[in-house]
Amino acid sequence: MKLCVLVKQVPGSESALRIASGNTWVEDAAALFEMNESDNYALEEALQIKESLGNDSEVVVVSMGPERVQKVIREALSKGADRGIHINEIPEIKSDPFATAQVFANVIKVENFDLIFSGLQSDDVGSGQTGVILGEMLGMATATLVMATEVQEGSIKVKRELESGWFQWVSMSTPASITIQSGINQPRYPSLKGIMGAKKKEMKVVDLSTAVTIEKQQSFANIYLPIADKKTEMIEGNVDQMVSRLVDVLKTEIKVL
Amino acid sequence: MPEREILDLDVLFVGAGPASLAGAIHLKRLFNESGCEASVAVLEKASEVGAHSLSGAIFDPRSLIELFPDYKDRNIPFEAEVKEEHMYYLMKGKKLPFPYVPPSMRHHGCYVTSIGKFTRWLGDRAEEEGVDIFCGFSGTDFVYDGDEVIGVKTGDRGIDKDGERKPHFEPGADIHAKVVVLGEGTRGSLTKKLIQKFNLMENCNPQVWAIGVKELWQMPSGTVTPGYVAHTMGFPLGHDIFGGAFIYGMQNDILDLGLVVGLDYQNPGVDAQHELQRLKTHPWIRSLLADGEIIAYGAKSLPEGGWYSLPKLTVGGAMLIGDSAGFLNGQRLKGIHLAMKSGMLAAETISEAFAADDFSAASLASFTDKVNSSWLKNELWKVRNFHQGFDRGLLGGLINSGLGLFTGGRGWGIKDRLPSHHGHELMQKGTAEDRYADLEFDGKYLFDKVTDVYYSATAHEEDQIPHLHVHDMDICITKCTEEYGNPCEKFCPADVYEMVQDSDGKRLQINFSNCVHCKTCDIMDPYQIIDWVPPEGGDGPGWVNL
Ligand SMILES: Cc1cc2nc3c(=O)[nH]c(=O)nc-3n(C[C@H](O)[C@H](O)[C@H](O)COP(=O)(O)OP(=O)(O)OC[C@H]3O[C@@H](n4cnc5c(N)ncnc54)[C@H](O)[C@@H]3O)c2cc1C
Repeated sequence: MKLCVLVKQVPGSESALRIASGNTWVEDAAALFEMNESDNYALEEALQIKESLGNDSEVVVVSMGPERVQKVIREALSKGADRGIHINEIPEIKSDPFATAQVFANVIKVENFDLIFSGLQSDDVGSGQTGVILGEMLGMATATLVMATEVQEGSIKVKRELESGWFQWVSMSTPASITIQSGINQPRYPSLKGIMGAKKKEMKVVDLSTAVTIEKQQSFANIYLPIADKKTEMIEGNVDQMVSRLVDVLKTEIKVL
Repeated sequence: MPEREILDLDVLFVGAGPASLAGAIHLKRLFNESGCEASVAVLEKASEVGAHSLSGAIFDPRSLIELFPDYKDRNIPFEAEVKEEHMYYLMKGKKLPFPYVPPSMRHHGCYVTSIGKFTRWLGDRAEEEGVDIFCGFSGTDFVYDGDEVIGVKTGDRGIDKDGERKPHFEPGADIHAKVVVLGEGTRGSLTKKLIQKFNLMENCNPQVWAIGVKELWQMPSGTVTPGYVAHTMGFPLGHDIFGGAFIYGMQNDILDLGLVVGLDYQNPGVDAQHELQRLKTHPWIRSLLADGEIIAYGAKSLPEGGWYSLPKLTVGGAMLIGDSAGFLNGQRLKGIHLAMKSGMLAAETISEAFAADDFSAASLASFTDKVNSSWLKNELWKVRNFHQGFDRGLLGGLINSGLGLFTGGRGWGIKDRLPSHHGHELMQKGTAEDRYADLEFDGKYLFDKVTDVYYSATAHEEDQIPHLHVHDMDICITKCTEEYGNPCEKFCPADVYEMVQDSDGKRLQINFSNCVHCKTCDIMDPYQIIDWVPPEGGDGPGWVNL
């Protein structure tokens, strides 16, 4: 079985992030980068499937971004992935899931993966769409928010998380693209031997910046820090007036009624 | 149950600082030249090389030139060559230029550098040379065969705060190596064990430390000259506390502001982070920061003792390099080039040991001879009595170091070796005096500790045994409160130690997740009952360019 894992390198949650000039992204130079949390679970799931199959299955890790993303690819290789593909950053499409999926589709369609795993969403942008759009573009079945997987002959059964504590089991034929929820397994640490071995594994660098026409669908207009302001209104008058004003506020201003 | 991984290597450096990285690169090349196929690896507790690196720094390229003669063509991420330098004596509200900038404080040909950027660069070069770097692993103990070190143990992961295994528990590894080189930097935790076990400080002056606290400020566009250098003495420390400030201009309008405070003060109330805040109340410093914004914070101790505080450098199977040994020139506030050189001399020793297939104490002892006959010794010898002179305050220190200039480093111009004292022993009982009563944290220029800690991006898995072992917590609420007024709350620059009063009475709370790995508590605790041990690998500060 050929398994693909999409991993993204995102600014670490402890970094004191600053908005870059231009107000459309954060200052990269000031952040420490790490593997996106749910991607780490996606990777672990793929590695466990590979290990449980015990045949000559393969796990391929794919990441797009500047050169530094090779660090998360190496990390995945040291945990047991077999090879990596680094797609050079195409700066214009940063944060656009449609264009991102388009680039991934372009690069990996020749691989004919049986399963594509990705994290539920990236911790920096959080649109949660790339895995689904990519599946769609490659004509695969897709499932999101996956909490458990069972690989069967020619199909995969997944447990999806629904609202308010409900779950759903779905069977899909492979190939399929699946986005993984954090917490589904216990991601492993890389071993020392794994780290040494990762150096010898293949990491292909792909540059597509001139090869594809990108249909960019979305971009950031403006990023700003939440403005903290407190507005307190003392509602005056008799009980009827107070109640009617309160209902009015809840309906028209806070919009909860 | 998972088993301990056992890995057989040839040479293991602990800590990916400039000492180890330069040593590993040099060694790999020597092995290549002699056709020796031995493996060289580096263990680093940070999640990536550089994330635990903090320095000033003005970088003297002397060792770098030896290691990379073509260094100028290599796009090394220096901030800038030193362009202009100033030295000031600060008084409350005033600043006086020094009439004379001593040669030790002139930096022609040096570079303003972020050590974090530099070690990342050096780490990449080491990997290119075939060195394995294991990030996110801390060395926690030695593997011995009799009295010979034959390896290092790395810490377990996934142990909860009660010492129980969590579901993803992974045992540490035993890394076997013919030679273990400790480049752990200041007050290394393995180094401390080795020094104690083999009594390596016998007949040496005690090591004395200082703590450096610093902040990086993003200033408005076009206001910072990269390569600008200023040093100050006087305010806020006054004459009784060793130290001074540094202000360096970095790329992209980042201003680097730091303060070094000797860890041999008498008033238990001294708080280095607060002194840095006081420094910013000086109108000149304040004007430098106008309309700026803090972007990073950090702290680290540094060994100031110099030549006479160097321990014995080798035992069978292991050696000490860089700040772990104490190769730092306190007068110039410089250790990076000395750390690198010591690593390179260690590499030469190891290469010979491999040729002779002898890793015994006797074989490795030639490291000391190599140090003695290199410029490393010359540089440290000239300033061998520098720090000791400050035992008599700022003026004494300046006179002593001035006299030393003319007499090749003799103490007070005549004595070959001035004694030094353990810094923590100088702390005076019953004299805790509040130096910060009028300090107001405005959240814009002046920050309380927790705010500063936020900018260190430090993080630790909360569910683990605190990595600060206080061996007798009763002393904290009895003797220490009475005698020193709990100086741990003050000397820790990251608010790790907090005396709290709750239903069980008064007790010490250890907020270990704030820790920035400066090691000050391990050094400065007056009862010497705090042991800093590495937390789970990967935990700690997330420094990018400190
Ligand atoms: C505030 C300040 C200002 C300074 N200014 C200057 C200056 O201007 N110029 C200059 O030349 N020098 C300066 N120095 C000194 C200089 O930074 C040090 O001398 C130098 O960094 C020492 O290098 P090292 O490799 O020995 O240790 P370090 O750079 O400290 O590196 C040690 C590494 O080991 C890791 N480590 C430690 N213990 C373990 C373990 N048990 N397991 C795994 N990893 C471990 C640490 O995380 C760290 O990455 C300054 C120091 C300070 C604190």
